[in-house]
Amino acid sequence: MHGWTGKILRIDLSTGKIGTEALKTDLARDYIGARGLGTKYMYDEVDPAVDPLSPANKLIFASGPMTGTFAPSAGRYDVVTKGPLTGTIAASNSGGAWGPELKYAGYDMLILEGRSPKPVYLWIQDDKVEIRDAAHLWGKDVPETTEALNAETATDAKIACIGPAGENLSFIASIMNDMQRAAGRTGVGAVMGSKNLKAVVVRGTGAVTVADKAAFLAAVSKASTMIKEHPVGGTGLRLYGTNVLVNILNSVGGLPTGNFQDGHFETADKVGGETLAANQLQRPKGCFSCIISCGRATKVSHPKYKGEGEGPEYETAWGFGPDCRIDNLDAVIKANYYCNEYGLDTISMGGTVACAMELFDRGIITLEDTEGLELTFGNADAMVEAVRLAGIGQGFGKKLALGSYRLASLYGHPELSMTVKKQEMPAYDPRAVQGIGLNYATNNRGGCHVRGYTISPEVLGVPVKVDKDSIDGKAELVALFQNLTAALDSSGSCLFATFGIGAPEFAELMTALTGFAYTGDSFIEAGERIWNLERLWNLKAGLTAADDTLPPRLLSEPIVTGPSKGAVSRLPEMLPLYYGVRGWDANGVPTPEKLSALALA
Amino acid sequence: MKISYFALLRDATKKSHEVWQRPAATLRDLLRDLVAEYGPNFARWVLKDGELAGYAIILVNGQDVRGLQGLDTPLSPDSDVFIFPPLAGG
Amino acid sequence: MSMMLMIHPDKCTGCRNCELACSMEHEGDFRPKASRIHVYTWEREGFSVPMMCQQCKDAACTTVCMPKAMHRNPANGQVELDQSKCIGCKMCVQACPFGCASWDFLGSQILKCDTCGGDPACATICPTHALEWVEDTVSAQARKRSFATKLKNAFAEV
Repeated sequence: MHGWTGKILRIDLSTGKIGTEALKTDLARDYIGARGLGTKYMYDEVDPAVDPLSPANKLIFASGPMTGTFAPSAGRYDVVTKGPLTGTIAASNSGGAWGPELKYAGYDMLILEGRSPKPVYLWIQDDKVEIRDAAHLWGKDVPETTEALNAETATDAKIACIGPAGENLSFIASIMNDMQRAAGRTGVGAVMGSKNLKAVVVRGTGAVTVADKAAFLAAVSKASTMIKEHPVGGTGLRLYGTNVLVNILNSVGGLPTGNFQDGHFETADKVGGETLAANQLQRPKGCFSCIISCGRATKVSHPKYKGEGEGPEYETAWGFGPDCRIDNLDAVIKANYYCNEYGLDTISMGGTVACAMELFDRGIITLEDTEGLELTFGNADAMVEAVRLAGIGQGFGKKLALGSYRLASLYGHPELSMTVKKQEMPAYDPRAVQGIGLNYATNNRGGCHVRGYTISPEVLGVPVKVDKDSIDGKAELVALFQNLTAALDSSGSCLFATFGIGAPEFAELMTALTGFAYTGDSFIEAGERIWNLERLWNLKAGLTAADDTLPPRLLSEPIVTGPSKGAVSRLPEMLPLYYGVRGWDANGVPTPEKLSALALA
Repeated sequence: MKISYFALLRDATKKSHEVWQRPAATLRDLLRDLVAEYGPNFARWVLKDGELAGYAIILVNGQDVRGLQGLDTPLSPDSDVFIFPPLAGG
Repeated sequence: MSMMLMIHPDKCTGCRNCELACSMEHEGDFRPKASRIHVYTWEREGFSVPMMCQQCKDAACTTVCMPKAMHRNPANGQVELDQSKCIGCKMCVQACPFGCASWDFLGSQILKCDTCGGDPACATICPTHALEWVEDTVSAQARKRSFATKLKNAFAEV
């Protein structure tokens, strides 16, 4: 095979049995790789009703066919499992260099089963695979673990690991690779912790091959040029990172503020990308094969928040900033560093602190509950300390580590959790931007922006501007973006490549690389197949149409200040239209005709 | 009126916002004056061949002018104008 | 005057496109371990440095090469490897102070930058111009100027 390595590594952590098997070629073609292929294997092998933290759940690290090639900005992998935060199928996507290294070691996917009786890590050197004791690493944070493992394996080995949050089975724990990159969402780090697996260390000396070199080089050259020359993909992301969005979302009144009580934050500029570039930014960073370089190597010298690392992304700056009514960028970055070090998802962590602040503000929780943490909106020190405690699982941090839905439910107020399917929503207010609300509500992993990023047309105007306040055409728009993203996630590409190229270019790359003939339409259809398969999994896991909703606040409490003052989400009008566009019945169940058309019947 | 600048436009104007005193009936008038004031490093991000540059984001009182009347969007002395070069995030 | 590969670590984002382009150019597939250039990244600081053959004037690899496979090409000033003469003794790997000659055990070959015959693929693909293929005198001047700017800034802060 070309693009794919054609081999899967399967390890039963309960018994220590290690085996390899051939990748099923027809599945690779139809489900592409990474998110799609991992989901297909999960669907065929695991009961969707499984307890996510039981040995019966599986944990799949899956790369895409483009991973490890120089297709522009396409070095990614997905962690696919049943997510403990949401109870949905989870695929958490991450960049860095770990995914490509797995390919060079010879594997498209690593499937982990069972539960190790004691803490272990995996050391994969091409065909040589060892399960090694990790007692000495348990309790160490991500940078310590990474450096210790590089020292005892190989200096150029690539490492994916969990921090204390994953060990403590936090529902918002991430898996970190290359020290700074996160497979953040849906609590995949807790699944790794539940398997007593501290890290997966990989070093590969092999190759990823190409079916038609001349055609692939031509397709890469064309795609790279389109991304570099695009006014949006070319320069801005490298200079300012994703955090440049703070000011624009605030300017249109779509920056959720104070746990989504408002959509506008007066001093947002202080935590925006421009401020970051002028102060804490050291240099831009690129993931493997990236030509965009939106990553931020940063350093904080303020004595109280001192540190260095990567971040913040826009969602992170928003979560620890405006959503907590905080405008101290040094504090925001410190919270980001803690998340990277302890292995926490920054979006869910930010949303959970914001929720705790509202609970505190309303007197639902007191200093007694928080063990002395003064969790008032705007208290930067308390926010940073809350994140630290959640990371190490101490004090009130134990409750914060559950995520906002379980936290708010403990105190009888789940409606104050700004979540969809129990996962915290990111940094775009669905009242100010109608399409993104429909995407949140219908997203297969709950509150998530990257799987249907309608902000691009609705706010940025890429590829064309559509009216963010209108609901016309939003069902079609959301479904199309969800399908395209499912396919490109599965290919190993970064979502940001779409700030330059679209389905026809992805199809060209895939065809030249793999030798299978893809068209723009068939590429998107593969995405639709993947989306529907994820939906089928979730329905079997017990989710229903009732879960396709937003927190009641967004449907009934208008935005208070700013340009979108008075707006609410019109989700109830859009949802039936969306089901119709999807070919699903009134209960959100895919019809037999739709499943048959997608070869899912 | 109040004008706010973002990202690369702050490099071109050397400021993040200002109160603009010269009268401008429409966005076209305002941009003409701003281009005269701040030169090609400003112009290249917002105007192309006399029209709005693709992907530049200009808001008047929080409303994207691409949903209003584009360059013909009327302005008044109390308008609040936000000008962004093409940008993206996620 | 000859050409040289100029490295600007301050512009390197650690994306490793150079390794991929090198491997594709020489091996026809994507195998960074067979690349003649390697990028080293310090993840805590987020700093990356690309490393490849420096085409030394007094090149240790040529001195130790018994069959004279590793030799200087007087026409372009580059250190070149004649694969047909190479006996695989790996003395050049031992001798290179930069570690920029290495042994590829899969391909049974010495890996050393050949500047792609005068049009290095790594410099062509580098998205941030952290690698540049430039005339040696000009590049030296640019580096001097760039360092002078840093000095100027440093003194300005005093």
